[in-house]
Amino acid sequence: MGGNGWKWLLCAPALVVLVLAASGPLVIVAIYSFLSPGNMGGVTWEFSTEAWFRVFFRRDIFEPDLVTWNTANLAIFWRSVWLSIQTTVICAVLGFPTAWFIATRSPRSRPFWLFLITIPFWTNLLIRTFAIQEMIRNNGTINTVLLWSGLIEQPLQMLFTDFAILLGMAYVFLPLMVLPLYAAMDKMNLSLIEAGYDLYGSRGAVLWHIILPLVKPGFIAGSILVFIPAIGAYVTPRVLGGGQSLMLGNLIALQFGQGRNWPLGSALAMLMLIVVVVALVIYLRTVGRSDGERRV
Amino acid sequence: MAVVNGARVAAEIEIAALGKVFGQGEAAFHALKNINLKIATGEFFTLLGPSGCGKTTLLRVIAGFEQPSTGALAINGRQVAGQGPNKRPVNTVFQSYALFPHMTVAQNIGFGLKMLGKPRSEIDATVAEMLRLVRMEALAERRPSEISGGQQQRVALARALAPRPRVLLLDEPLSALDLKLRKEMQGELKRLQTETGITFVFVTHDQEEALTMSDRIAVMSAGRILQLGSPDEIYNAPVDRFVADFIGETNFLTLPVAGVSGDQAHLDLPGGTSAPARLPAGLAAAPGSSVTAVIRPEQAEIAPAEGADLTAEVESATFFGTDTHLHLRLSDGQPFILRRQNRPGQPPIAPGTRLGLVLAPGALQVLRD
Repeated sequence: MGGNGWKWLLCAPALVVLVLAASGPLVIVAIYSFLSPGNMGGVTWEFSTEAWFRVFFRRDIFEPDLVTWNTANLAIFWRSVWLSIQTTVICAVLGFPTAWFIATRSPRSRPFWLFLITIPFWTNLLIRTFAIQEMIRNNGTINTVLLWSGLIEQPLQMLFTDFAILLGMAYVFLPLMVLPLYAAMDKMNLSLIEAGYDLYGSRGAVLWHIILPLVKPGFIAGSILVFIPAIGAYVTPRVLGGGQSLMLGNLIALQFGQGRNWPLGSALAMLMLIVVVVALVIYLRTVGRSDGERRV
Repeated sequence: MAVVNGARVAAEIEIAALGKVFGQGEAAFHALKNINLKIATGEFFTLLGPSGCGKTTLLRVIAGFEQPSTGALAINGRQVAGQGPNKRPVNTVFQSYALFPHMTVAQNIGFGLKMLGKPRSEIDATVAEMLRLVRMEALAERRPSEISGGQQQRVALARALAPRPRVLLLDEPLSALDLKLRKEMQGELKRLQTETGITFVFVTHDQEEALTMSDRIAVMSAGRILQLGSPDEIYNAPVDRFVADFIGETNFLTLPVAGVSGDQAHLDLPGGTSAPARLPAGLAAAPGSSVTAVIRPEQAEIAPAEGADLTAEVESATFFGTDTHLHLRLSDGQPFILRRQNRPGQPPIAPGTRLGLVLAPGALQVLRD
């Protein structure tokens, strides 16, 4: 061992954290997904692919040989992906003008606007989610005002719908889109926009051909930061989506709680990880490469 | 019509009583004050001045990035105040080049034509022509980050020239280049201007760049144009103290007026002789009053004391390679710098030596102040 051995030692704390905190739990989850459920929760050390089988298929109760697709699980999977995609798009559409507004303020006032964006982080997520529930429930603030003003005669059913989940998730994750977008805009050379106008670009053309491609790294970072926690969201669908509108996070939690089927919960968690990784790879391949192939 | 160096030619840009104010009330900053200017078609026109003098603001007003607060601006006979930069037949070469980093060199050059809705075949043909013009054919598919600063400069030029603007605006385009490349690009710019016949409005703080490249120069300070003229006029007949001081090296002499005839004054020189000097237009110098006159260090020569215009004592000498600067003290105590061409075998002049000086005819210029 020469001097290099000592350098490795300096990396040890980081390596320990990486192995124990990041890879360790993941390995445990992966192993659990191939074990049998214990009677009172937990696992028994007995190899089984039953959990993975049950993620996708179900056996008929009376005729175990009759196998059908587990449409309930797959529907929840699809719902989670679809709601997360919508959340990401909503955050991008709302986040772009917000970030642009902040990036075009004077340098002195920008920290103030960024501070406003981060204020929601100061309060517990559960409290904020219940606050949204209070606003949108049938005899909540919004319905009371609308009924009082005579715009509607029956209260609008907003709580326990997909709308409620989207509203809650967009509210929670919006700052995660605004901040990377702002960072990308802040780095942008403003004379590029002037050059676009100077070369006969209209406002729309400058936005489309110059600003959007240049803040694309911000969109990519923001989309990743929003999509990944959205697909595993637990509190928001639980509080705003009610019992019928489960998302993946709730389904997984159910297996570790009432379901007492840890291997199934682990298999679902692993599948979610795979979906996220595949989605990321596809996303980065298409978005990250397109500008190299686009021709003027 | 604009009068350029004595000839009347069509005006490409006409600016009348133009002002630009940033901010309001107490904090108002007058970046441009009462600018009156006519720039001729096909002219290489330079706005010269120190940083903060308003030259870049004036360029940005012409480009349309800033709107004038007062006054009128016409390009090719059409009033353009209030119009955005995308509506004006004018393109800009930015100081930072502002090349689009996500596009190739060819895409950058073609962008303006694409925005104008030109057909693809025409865009391709023009881009190829522009690449040839700036000698960048081999690098058409590179990104701006993959080419050198000088090459980026060429691409910025080609991009601004591709839509065939009536006027090309250049905002200190050479300031980021090293000396050798800058010299090369100066020649290149001049060549491009001659080949394309497009009016160039060039902003610089480099007086040498302005003198070597321009047809006419406007020297600016504190938001005003102090003097407008050919490089020769600006250099040899400055009418303003700032202009005389900013451009080149010069001697300021305070001299009494002996008499005035037309646009000529006769000034009393220390030592009893007198010499003719040009008066700026509109300045009435009363005989007996004192005026400030300037003379360039190379416009005087060492001569025998008898019959010389001036006598002076050498205080120190600085060697500059091609010439030596002699720091002199005139007989009335005023300092005077003399530039003496260095020749082989020429004996050095020791401090304390008394010299006679002859002034070149017409070299003395009276200032307006």
